[in-house]
Amino acid sequence: MSSSVMLVREHESGGVQELPLRPGPKKKRGPSRAKAGRFTPGVLLLPALVILAVVIGWPLVQLFVMSFQEFGRAQVFGAPAPFVGFDNYTKVLSDPQFWAVLLRSVLFCLANVITAMVLGTLVALLMNRVNRFFKVLVSVGLLLAWAMPALTATIVWGWMFDTQYGVVNYLLEAVTGQDFTNHSWLIDPFSFFVVATIIVTWGAVPFVAFTIFAGLTQVPEEVLEAAQLDGAGGWKRFRLIVFPYLRSIFVVVIILQVIWDLRVFTQIFALQGIGGIKEETSTLGVYIYQTSLGKGDYGTGGAIAVIMVILMVSISLVYVRRSLKQEES
Amino acid sequence: MNTMRKTTLAVTALGVTAALALAGCAGGSSSGGNTDAAATGDIRVWLNGTDTPQAARDYLKTTFESEHPGSTLTIEEQAWTGLVDKLTTNLSGSDSPDVVEVGNTQAAAFTSAGAFLDLTDQYDALGGSDLLPGFVEAGSYDGKFFAAPYYSGARLVFYKKDLLAKAGLTVPTTLDQYISNGVALAAANPGVSGIYFPGQDWYNALPYIWENGGEIATQSGATWTSSFSSPESIAGLKQVQEVMTKASVAPKDGNETDPQVPFCEGVIANLSAPSWVKGSILAPADAKAPGCPDQEANLGVYALPGKSGGAAHVFAGGSNIAVSAKSAHPELAKDALAIMLSDDYQTILGKAGLVPAKVSLASTIGTDDVAKATAEAAANAKLTPASPKWADVEASGALQDFFVAIGQGGDVTALAQALDQKIDGILNS
Repeated sequence: MSSSVMLVREHESGGVQELPLRPGPKKKRGPSRAKAGRFTPGVLLLPALVILAVVIGWPLVQLFVMSFQEFGRAQVFGAPAPFVGFDNYTKVLSDPQFWAVLLRSVLFCLANVITAMVLGTLVALLMNRVNRFFKVLVSVGLLLAWAMPALTATIVWGWMFDTQYGVVNYLLEAVTGQDFTNHSWLIDPFSFFVVATIIVTWGAVPFVAFTIFAGLTQVPEEVLEAAQLDGAGGWKRFRLIVFPYLRSIFVVVIILQVIWDLRVFTQIFALQGIGGIKEETSTLGVYIYQTSLGKGDYGTGGAIAVIMVILMVSISLVYVRRSLKQEES
Repeated sequence: MNTMRKTTLAVTALGVTAALALAGCAGGSSSGGNTDAAATGDIRVWLNGTDTPQAARDYLKTTFESEHPGSTLTIEEQAWTGLVDKLTTNLSGSDSPDVVEVGNTQAAAFTSAGAFLDLTDQYDALGGSDLLPGFVEAGSYDGKFFAAPYYSGARLVFYKKDLLAKAGLTVPTTLDQYISNGVALAAANPGVSGIYFPGQDWYNALPYIWENGGEIATQSGATWTSSFSSPESIAGLKQVQEVMTKASVAPKDGNETDPQVPFCEGVIANLSAPSWVKGSILAPADAKAPGCPDQEANLGVYALPGKSGGAAHVFAGGSNIAVSAKSAHPELAKDALAIMLSDDYQTILGKAGLVPAKVSLASTIGTDDVAKATAEAAANAKLTPASPKWADVEASGALQDFFVAIGQGGDVTALAQALDQKIDGILNS
């Protein structure tokens, strides 16, 4: 069984295609071109799969096991971890705090996805219209924002919104004449999330803008021109021509944004260190961290993480199916 | 210096008791050591914040490397914020630091989990009964000695002499007078904190609870009961709220780091902070973290007064130092730890305003105002509940959230009841 079949993938025709990993027993004339082509994809995939299995698969398995155990700080340092069945899950699902965090995360995610998509699209449309010089200028600006690590960005934004010495309070006072001395931007949960949204959106717009800008170059000029001659305004052209052309790009970008924003961690975690009330501002990622590392309850934290993984996987499935469909068409 | 001598005596007495208790467990296991003395390696020492002065760091590195030719010692500075999380992940990994500093109230979380190497057989060599007893207790678990005292520090009140004099006030002798002074100073100087009290600074809220007869949590049998909502604690918390809302203009959700910035800017009249903050305030104007050395003559200091005079029960802050159970060079690490507890090293700490880990070196902190106030404050200092789970309470952030809500003028009783429920849940989980 040296030519054992290890990978199977769905064939376009609906049947199953076998992908041998190693060439079978050598034929007299050596592997033909067609045969080599049949197993190459499998071989090429293998290294990536091994890395994924080690780096992502193994921790996931551990996480899954841990979520069924009583796992505290003592277990981290080697004490045996007793299995407790679904105890961690019932604890999480019956905790109103968890549901509050989940709802908060979803709302925060929606707000951020919408803001980033709208702004990103507008920037992309802008880049499509301006001349070469400004196109480069905007691209460089976007790249700089994109290249900035999230933690660094959050700390700097935190300085700007600082209660005592922040430039935002200073400017608002200078411009509006209102008293913004010692106005805390983070103490009120809503205001906290407005600041967080600014930071997250600031970091997310470049990706959206670049991707959509790349898509825009694929929209045929002639169609747009024809529409313009027929009297279609800017909004109408976007809605009826540009958007249908870019629909699949939009779907993919939105799904990616949803995934990224739902598991947002760095920005929220760093902002909580600067100010605000943790309990009222924690999102899923931060809540898992607080439960696991903060309270030392890794079992419960693991259960929340598994729930989050399930949530993410179901969203990702839509993305994967969409990309597969795209490949076929 | 009377108080100081009394303290020393009391502390020594406690030390003897602790030593006797510990001696019982120390027997029989004092054979280890010197077997791999020839081995060389690179030792990583984790120190937290800027508390350890540069002179001490240099001394540690030079001494260790000259005593162990071929070995190196690297000091890696960690932030106090999030330390419990960081230690948990790093001490359990294969790339563990060798020697780590840990907050005295956090030590129990690690001693009880087996994260530290057992130092019971080193107890006498490190100083024995001369070591600060409260810290020996914090570093011991189940009759074994895991984390040695490193230094202790008390919270003092630094104040601007001119502001106090201008308002016609004197250094307060009771807690009530301290509060009324603060409120009066804030009213007389708009934009200035009579008492600087950022909302997340929960350590500074503890004296108000303790002075009113309250406790953080009490233990009966194996059960802990959080008692922030006891009538005594509530009385103290109401005072905290009064200070936060009427005497302080500090950010209601701010934390206690870098208080020298607003202090030097001139918007603080009274600042309750660890004794080493004096060094930050008087740092040269061109330092990396600049201070305001020109204010030296104007900078006064006193120990926070208690409800009925004398020094208040303040939080006994400080650190323990331990060897990671996963250290690749435990013998070298133990030697490095021994240097940090040597008289020379501890004297450097003492001169920098930290209370040394050894009772016999108490006099090294000198005789200036800060030293006197430190001795007074340390005499009445108290610790957080001695539960291995207490570090989890700290790390959960519940205390910070609670005092931020108090600072916003929330309903003290309702908030305290909710906090008690949360802490009970963690301590008894």
